[in-house]
Amino acid sequence: MPDLVLGQFAGVDMPDWVDALLRIMFIVALMTVNAFALIYLERKILARFQARVGPTRTGPIGTLQSIADALKLVTKEDVRPSTADRWAFELAPYIAFVPVFLIFVPMPFTETWFIRDLNLGLLYVFGVLGLNIVGVIMAGWGSDNKYALLGGVRAAAQAISYEIPMLLIVVSVVMVAAGRLATDGDVSAAVSINGIVADQTTTPYILLQPLGFVIFLIGALAELHRPPFDMPIAESEVVGGYFVEYSGMRWGMFFLAEYTALFLIVLLASSIFLGGWNWPFGADVGLGLQIVLTLVKTSVMIVLVISSRALFPRLRIDQLMSFSWKVLLPFAIVQVLANGIIMAYGGPDWVVGLVSFALLLALFGLVFALTRTRKGGDTTRTIQTTPARPRVITSPEVTAVEAGGGD
Amino acid sequence: MGDGVTATQVVFWILAVVMLVSALGVVTAGNIVYAALFFIAALAGVAGIYLILAVEFIALVQLLIYGSAVVILILFALMLTRARERPQALFGRTRPLGIAAAAGLLAALIGGIVATQWVTPGSAADFQPIALQQIGDVIFTVWIVPFIIVGVLLSIALDGAIMLASPDEEE
Repeated sequence: MPDLVLGQFAGVDMPDWVDALLRIMFIVALMTVNAFALIYLERKILARFQARVGPTRTGPIGTLQSIADALKLVTKEDVRPSTADRWAFELAPYIAFVPVFLIFVPMPFTETWFIRDLNLGLLYVFGVLGLNIVGVIMAGWGSDNKYALLGGVRAAAQAISYEIPMLLIVVSVVMVAAGRLATDGDVSAAVSINGIVADQTTTPYILLQPLGFVIFLIGALAELHRPPFDMPIAESEVVGGYFVEYSGMRWGMFFLAEYTALFLIVLLASSIFLGGWNWPFGADVGLGLQIVLTLVKTSVMIVLVISSRALFPRLRIDQLMSFSWKVLLPFAIVQVLANGIIMAYGGPDWVVGLVSFALLLALFGLVFALTRTRKGGDTTRTIQTTPARPRVITSPEVTAVEAGGGD
Repeated sequence: MGDGVTATQVVFWILAVVMLVSALGVVTAGNIVYAALFFIAALAGVAGIYLILAVEFIALVQLLIYGSAVVILILFALMLTRARERPQALFGRTRPLGIAAAAGLLAALIGGIVATQWVTPGSAADFQPIALQQIGDVIFTVWIVPFIIVGVLLSIALDGAIMLASPDEEE
């Protein structure tokens, strides 16, 4: 097994099932450490933004805070509301968690370190991640709590809306990769994440698809329920959203899923846009530094994502939906079309990059024009249509139907 | 492979049981959200069967499309029905018609399965997985007309849905 993660060091032949078991254990360990690290990091960074120091008491400069939190969660009583739907409520954390766990599989850490290099890696990530939302909506519905239901419904609407521009951007990235690989005659690596990373030895794709990078990042924030797109879990609106009724380790599993997804989606973005384990603009310095490069790129983007929580105010749910369908989706489609036209006529790479950059400027211009503050007016009025009557997604009727269970 | 049970067979039977149980769950669950959740289990089982058949692309597309589709189904179930208040009656006056239709469909499917000359695969060694590129080539050359027709149909359906759902602009 050339792509072996652990046997590479041990240098021994292992039966398949031991190998598989080791890979799974590796995922579990990495996931746990990652969640601990990210929670600590998030607290520290947010504290800085708010002129505080963050956790300091547990361990040196507070580094053991996450472990203390985990201990608290594990020992906490696991409560199920008496009116909750038993099966949906108990199973939801697992169904939300397992898909996120599974998308570890095709992620490349170095040229040869991954759990498995899947040929259809990119498609796999989105196919599997889509199942996560089933768990979220099960939690929202099963809790028998109108805040949870609203949170779940919001999460579903948001995930489905932002999945589409993200997938179109992935399509445009695959198009670019296939176009570049076609010169070697073999395009089969264009959907494999590691194949895409391997093609970025000289040019990271962020230069070829800057619009794609921005749309992907926005979509990722929405998929991950990160601010400013955290309406499904907004404390001030839906009191925590779909996991409001959960406590103890079941609640912890939602959080574990969330931070794991944060790490993985950001790792994916840094792989397909920033060149993953490659040095920027060529000059590969060998395996030892590849892992460092991957983690540095990922960390920079994680800090970006966490900072956005402190930097931007939360949107309204209708603004969020409008932004996806009326702004991001058309731009993503135009990007795919532009790539197709340029590549069909054999345009060189720099034309692809230039057109994408022009589209990015157009996107910024449009957003700026639409959100310009008017005197005493609503800042984002022109993005949305007139809310003549409540929209389906946020409709109070939804709550009314559910809340009216008593009569 | 030997005479014993292969790992593939074990996986197949597990998937088959999961699919059958959840398919039965879809039609017998009184609660419409349960039915939708059983439905996604059944569809995931189908994706698993596709994986056994080594057509990863179709398996992943199955998950990608039906995953979102089922979520939308649940949303519809929540918004358009009052399932939470009283379990829906499973049988109505049309019961005999339903039984007849189901029996006819079952007979047609069994007939089709029995009548087909199945291609028996050779050994696993000479099996060639289909590359994504080949699928793309075929869809966009040989089957381009059906592809466009499906696209136009879906666009019309989407436009219609938007027309129906959009609030009246003039009041």
